[in-house]
Amino acid sequence: MPTFVHTEKCDGCKGGEVTACAYICPHDLMKLDTGRMKAFNQEPEQCWECQCCVKACPQQAIEVRSFQDWVPMGGAAIPMRTDSAIMWTIKFRDGELKRFKFPIRTTPVGTIDPYSGKPEAGDINSQLLFTEAGRELPVIAS
Amino acid sequence: MSEGTFGNPEIVTVETDVLIVGGGMAACGAAYEAVRWAGDDVRITMVDKAALDRSGAVAQGLSAINTYLGDNSPEDYCRMVSADLMGITRDDLVFDVGRHVDDSVELFEEWGLPIWKDKSTEGVALKDGGKPVRSGKWQIMINGESYKPIVAEAAKKALGIENIYERVFIVKLLLDANNENQIAGAVGFSVREHKLYIFRCKTCLLVAGGAVNVFRPRSTGEGMGRTWYPVWNAGSTYAMAAEVGAEMTMMENRFVPCRFKDGYGPVGAWFLLFKSQAVNGFGENYMVKNADMLKDFAPYDTAAVIPTCLRNHAMLKEMKDGRGPIMMDTPTAMAKLTESMSPKEVKHLESEAWEDFLDMCIGQAGVWAGLNIRPEETASELMPTEPYLLGSHSGCCGIWVSGPEDIAPEEWQWGYNRMTTVNGLFTAGDGVGASGHKFSSGSHAEGRIAAKNMVRYVREHADLSPKIKGDIEQITEEIYRPVRTYLEHKDKTTAEDINPNYIIPQQYQMRLQKIMDEYVAGVSTYYNTNGKLLDMGLNYLEMLKEDSKHLRAKDLHELLRAWENYHRTRTAETHLRHIMFRKETRYPGFFYRVDYPELDDANWKVFVNSRMDPETGDWELKKVPHIDLVEKHYG
Repeated sequence: MPTFVHTEKCDGCKGGEVTACAYICPHDLMKLDTGRMKAFNQEPEQCWECQCCVKACPQQAIEVRSFQDWVPMGGAAIPMRTDSAIMWTIKFRDGELKRFKFPIRTTPVGTIDPYSGKPEAGDINSQLLFTEAGRELPVIAS
Repeated sequence: MSEGTFGNPEIVTVETDVLIVGGGMAACGAAYEAVRWAGDDVRITMVDKAALDRSGAVAQGLSAINTYLGDNSPEDYCRMVSADLMGITRDDLVFDVGRHVDDSVELFEEWGLPIWKDKSTEGVALKDGGKPVRSGKWQIMINGESYKPIVAEAAKKALGIENIYERVFIVKLLLDANNENQIAGAVGFSVREHKLYIFRCKTCLLVAGGAVNVFRPRSTGEGMGRTWYPVWNAGSTYAMAAEVGAEMTMMENRFVPCRFKDGYGPVGAWFLLFKSQAVNGFGENYMVKNADMLKDFAPYDTAAVIPTCLRNHAMLKEMKDGRGPIMMDTPTAMAKLTESMSPKEVKHLESEAWEDFLDMCIGQAGVWAGLNIRPEETASELMPTEPYLLGSHSGCCGIWVSGPEDIAPEEWQWGYNRMTTVNGLFTAGDGVGASGHKFSSGSHAEGRIAAKNMVRYVREHADLSPKIKGDIEQITEEIYRPVRTYLEHKDKTTAEDINPNYIIPQQYQMRLQKIMDEYVAGVSTYYNTNGKLLDMGLNYLEMLKEDSKHLRAKDLHELLRAWENYHRTRTAETHLRHIMFRKETRYPGFFYRVDYPELDDANWKVFVNSRMDPETGDWELKKVPHIDLVEKHYG
C-alpha cells in the first residue's frame, strides 16, 4: 500500500533543510525531487503503510493508496493527527464513511523530564535498575 | 578532510565509550538507563538508520503492551514463555525480564502513554494501583499510536540529541587489534550525506531488530512491503554479531504468525478480548477437531495456552486438506458482545475493533475498507504468513548471552548480564536468543538491563583503549564497492538495470527469498524441508553470497538496500545451518523437517548454538544442555 503525494498540496516543505516525510520515513522511501520541489515515494513496493509520513506532513499532502495487486480500488484510511489525539476517516469502496477518534498522549509533547523525581544511580553491582532503588528483587523460588 | 562525494566519502571518526546500534525500544531503554549510571565521565552514543521518533518495530504504534506482569509471578511468566517455545528457553533471562518489565511500562504511562483502565480504577496510574484492561493474562490494552514518539522523547532528553546519529546505517562491527575477541567499534555510512562513520567504543549494544523479507512473502507487487513485522528489520543484529564470531543460539527458531490475510492485521484482541473463534471453510473449529494430532507434541499440547506453532499446525492441516478458507468469525463474536449493550456501547466496541488495526496495522484497515468488510457483518480470512526471524515476539532466535548473576547457573554467566561471547558486545530485545515474549515493554526493560551492565563494563575496563583491527581504507572500499561497481559499469548497457556486470539489490533480495522459500521451508512448500533440500539451498546461498560482491548501488538509498540484503543473507545462512543441524521437528506449524518429523525430547531438548570463525568463515554447531530453573508443568 504505497504512499502518494498530491501534487498541488506538496510544497517540498518550502525548501527548508528538512523535508518532513523524508525525515520521518522509517524505511528511507520518501524523497524530495529538488527540480519540482515535490516529494515522492521512491520505492513503493517497500512501503509498510505505517503512515508515519502521512501524519508528519504539514500540508496533509500525502495519502496511502492500497496495494493494487490485491486490494480493490476506492477504500482508504486517512488520519488527522494532533499532539493529543488522532482522527481517522475510513472510506469504504462502496462509499460509506466511518470516523473514529482516539487519544494518543496524556502529556504535552516535549514536556517529558526523564529524571525528575527519580532516584540517583545507586549500587552499580546490584541487579536493580536505577528507578528500582530500595526494592527487593525477586529471585527464582526453589 | 575535504567534503565527500558519491563513493568517495568523508571519513568521520567518533570516539565514545558506550555505543548503541539501533533506535528501537531496546535502544531507547538503554539510553535512558545508561545515562543515569554514566555520570559525566562515560560517553554514550546512539546510531539509528532512521529517525528515532519513528524507528524500530513500534514505529507505527501498538494497540497493546503484551508483557505486563502485574499480579502474575515471574515464575509463571517463565512457564508461559517456555511452553509457547516448546520447552527450550533460558529461564534466567526470561525471569529477569519478568522482574523488571513493569517498571518500564509504568514509566511509559508517566511519560504520557494512555493505558486503558478498568472502570473501577479509571484515571488511576498503574503504579498507584490502577487496574489495566487485560486482553489476556499478560497483555494490556493501550491507545498506542504515539507509543514510539513518547519513548523516543524520553531517550532523546536523557541522551541529548547531540549524541544521536540518525540516518546512519551501521554495516559492520569492528574487533580490537590488540585484544582478541574484544569489540572496538562499528562502521557505517550516512544515507543522507557522503560520509563514512567509524565509531570507536569500549562496549557496544547491538539492537537492530529481527529479520523480515528473508523469505518470499505471500504478498506480490506493491504489497511486498506490507509485511507483518517491520519491513526495515533486515537481520542486521544477527548478521553483524555472527560476523564478529559471537555465539548464536536457537537460530533454527522462527515465527510464522497467523494473521488477517493480506493486511497482516493482529488477531490477539479478536481472540482474547472479543472472544472470537476461528473456523475452517465448513465452520468447524480446527483446534477442537484436530486436538488429537497435537498429542504427538506432548507435553506442550496441554499447556495453559497452546503453543503458537501447534495452533498453526492444526490450522495447516485444514488448509492442506483443502478445507479452507480459515475464517475469523467476527460477526458472531460481535453479536454476542453487543447482546446486552446500549447503542452507545456498541459504537464504542466498533471503535475499539477498528482501533486495534489503526494503532498498529493501518494497512489491514485499508484492506477491509477496500473489500467493504465490516467486522460486525462479514467474517475475515486468516492466513499463516511467511517466516520471520526474531527474538522478542513469539520466537527465540538470537545471540547467546550471559545471564543475571543472582539467577543464572555458572555455565550461563561469564561476567556481565546480556553480554555476548564477544567481550564488550551486548544485545537486547530481538537480539537475545532463547527468551521470547518480551515484546515492546520487555525489550525496553532488557535494553536497560544491558545498559547498566555496559556502564559497569566501562568502569571496570578503564584502561581499555580500543584500536580497530583492519585497514580503514580497505573497509571503506568494501562498504562502497556497490557504488564503484555501478559507476564503473553503468554506461555499458542501454538500460542500466540490466547489466551483466552487477546485480541490483531488488533482484538480489528476490533471489534470496526464492531460495529460502523453496529450500528452507517457506510458504510454497507448506513450511516443509529436508536434508537434501537444505544442502541444495546452502549451495545456492553460497553463490548468492559470492554475488553479493557484485551488488550495485546507484545512490545512497540503494547502498542502504545492498547492505540490508547482505545482512539478510547472513541471517538466512545461519537459520539454514541451524535447521540442518537440529534433526527433529520441534516447531510444527512453523516448519517441518520431513525427514525427522517427530518431536524428539530425548535427543534434542537442547539449545543449538553456533559460531562462525571470523578469520576463516568456518562454522561450528553444537548442542548445549538445557536446564529448567523454574519447575515446569503443562496444563
